[in-house]
Amino acid sequence: VAGGLVVIRKVQKRSIKQQLIRMNMLVSGAALLVACGAVLTYEVAAFRQTMVRGLSIQAQIVGANSVSALLFEDPESATKTLSALSAAPNILSGGIYTADGEEFATYFRVRPEALPQPVLAGDRVESHRFADGELRLVRRIIFQGKQIGTVYIRSDLREQASRIFRYLVILAGVLLLSLLSAFVLSHRFQRTIAQPLVGLAAVARVVSRERKFSVRAVTTTSQDEVAELIEAFNEMLGQIQERDSALQSAREELEQRVAWRTAELETVNKELESFTYSVAHDLRAPLRHIQGFSAALSEEFGAQLSPEGVDYVRRIVNGTRRMGLLINDLLALAHVGRQELHLRRTGLNALAQEVVQDLKEEARDRDIRWETGDLPSANCDPGLMRQVFYNLLSNAVKYTRPRNPAVIEIGQTQVNGEQVIFVRDNGVGFNMKYSAKLFGVFQRLHRVEDFEGTGVGLATVQRIIHKHGGRIWAEAEVDRGAAFFFTLNRVEPF
Amino acid sequence: MSNFCARYLGSVLLLWFTSISCLSWAQKAKPSEYQVKAAYLSNFGRFVEWPAEVTAGDAPFYVCVLGQDSFGPFLDAALSGEKIGRATLLPKRLSRVEDGADCRLLFISASEDTRLAPILAGVGKSVLTVSDMPGFSQRGGMIQFVVEGNRVRFEINLAAAQHAGLILGSDLLKVATAVRRGL
Repeated sequence: VAGGLVVIRKVQKRSIKQQLIRMNMLVSGAALLVACGAVLTYEVAAFRQTMVRGLSIQAQIVGANSVSALLFEDPESATKTLSALSAAPNILSGGIYTADGEEFATYFRVRPEALPQPVLAGDRVESHRFADGELRLVRRIIFQGKQIGTVYIRSDLREQASRIFRYLVILAGVLLLSLLSAFVLSHRFQRTIAQPLVGLAAVARVVSRERKFSVRAVTTTSQDEVAELIEAFNEMLGQIQERDSALQSAREELEQRVAWRTAELETVNKELESFTYSVAHDLRAPLRHIQGFSAALSEEFGAQLSPEGVDYVRRIVNGTRRMGLLINDLLALAHVGRQELHLRRTGLNALAQEVVQDLKEEARDRDIRWETGDLPSANCDPGLMRQVFYNLLSNAVKYTRPRNPAVIEIGQTQVNGEQVIFVRDNGVGFNMKYSAKLFGVFQRLHRVEDFEGTGVGLATVQRIIHKHGGRIWAEAEVDRGAAFFFTLNRVEPF
Repeated sequence: MSNFCARYLGSVLLLWFTSISCLSWAQKAKPSEYQVKAAYLSNFGRFVEWPAEVTAGDAPFYVCVLGQDSFGPFLDAALSGEKIGRATLLPKRLSRVEDGADCRLLFISASEDTRLAPILAGVGKSVLTVSDMPGFSQRGGMIQFVVEGNRVRFEINLAAAQHAGLILGSDLLKVATAVRRGL
């Protein structure tokens, strides 16, 4: 079975051209061999018959010429008659026997030998036998209706062998010439079958390798199955090409639509941002008025006010301060959106340390343990990146207020083969249920009474990270701290 | 009487010789001289081209022995059942040549040596003459037996045969020890 498989694979590896030629050669060779075999067999049979006839005639002549010698007991005369056999080089020996079966006269081509007792079954006049590369013939000598003796002749088959050899040489020549002409002819005629198929295979290879559907197999003038195959193949290619181009145009249309929509969206977004900016900006002036006049009221007329009035003024001042912060944050967020990135190679370690120093100043009264790991260098906007660290770390300081000591950790790690920078604290954390809201503008997970804030800081951080082509996400648990992770697409290795 | 005696003796001799020959077959004993000669006499006629008028009828082919018969039963044995053409071979024993008018082959016994000339002169036309007397072929006989060693051979006087209108076949001449062509 394995040998069969190997053979099949071998056959398959050959090109159809070679297969056709091989087939033709095999077929014509086999036909020729059979024909030659038949002719050779016939030739051998015919030659044997001729040989037997020739030997029989010689036996008859010898017999006829030995009649008187036999009747008048003259072996010398019979020997002389027999010696005429020397004219035939194929005759090895001959003998004449009396009717009683006694040896009467002999002839030997080379040297004397014992001749066998000739035996003739029944009333047969003659019999012959091919054996040991020899032909032996026995014939009764009959004179006037009476057997008076027997003649025996032994002949070799050298003539037959040489004739067969000559015949084989001719056959080999004929076979060679026939195979040669079969090769030439099949080489010429295979083109009509193989050439189109070879072309078709080449085109199919191009199609499957290069996914190029514009090519076409060369059609033939013949009306056979190969032509049909090529036509069907070309038709199929045409259909594929049509479908392909339809798909292509659909995709292009889709892309165009997406681009158009994106542009539309961007315009709207820009408009929205500039609206936010201008609103925030325009809100500042009236707010300053309120702040200024509240301060003046408190300074100049504080003594005249009842304690209740003083409290109201203080509340107004607090409210306006918070509103100022809100406006500043909104302006910063809008600013981030509008600002172009000024990318520079920046050591994130130094950046983070600066921010940590600032925060240490601000939270002098608190016991905070800072654990800062090694951070990489990155191709980023240093101002914006400083804001990212400031927002994340100040959040960490804020939400660890109930902890003593607070632990804030900065470092980098690998997540799924990606370099990730993280800020982790042991603060109050949050419920992961709300993690989706975490980075939204004005979204807060804690009450202002517990932790002050505007709900803009993390939105700003997310926007900056996104502008850098990175991602940001958080992991937390209520009362067990929170961790913020971000990637920077432009982070460079150490 | 002598004829009866001869026949009786012949029968006895035949029996005796048959038993002898049967016994001696295994020893491959050679047949006797006259046995061979008798066989030859039965065959000579086959190698002769006879004139048409001789072979025309259904007359038997008489093989005649003139003078002392040395063949005994051998001649009868050799001729029995034999035919040349349509003619049956029959033996005939003569004491006078004049009795052999219908003979086709005449064997002249050596006992007639002294009377050979008149005998030959008295032989009819187309009769093949055979003898074993010395000088027979020189003296106008056609076939003369000669014994060479222990083999019986013969000489031929072709001219004598031709004179008698007989043509002796080349096969016969081939096995003759000598062929005399002139007279």
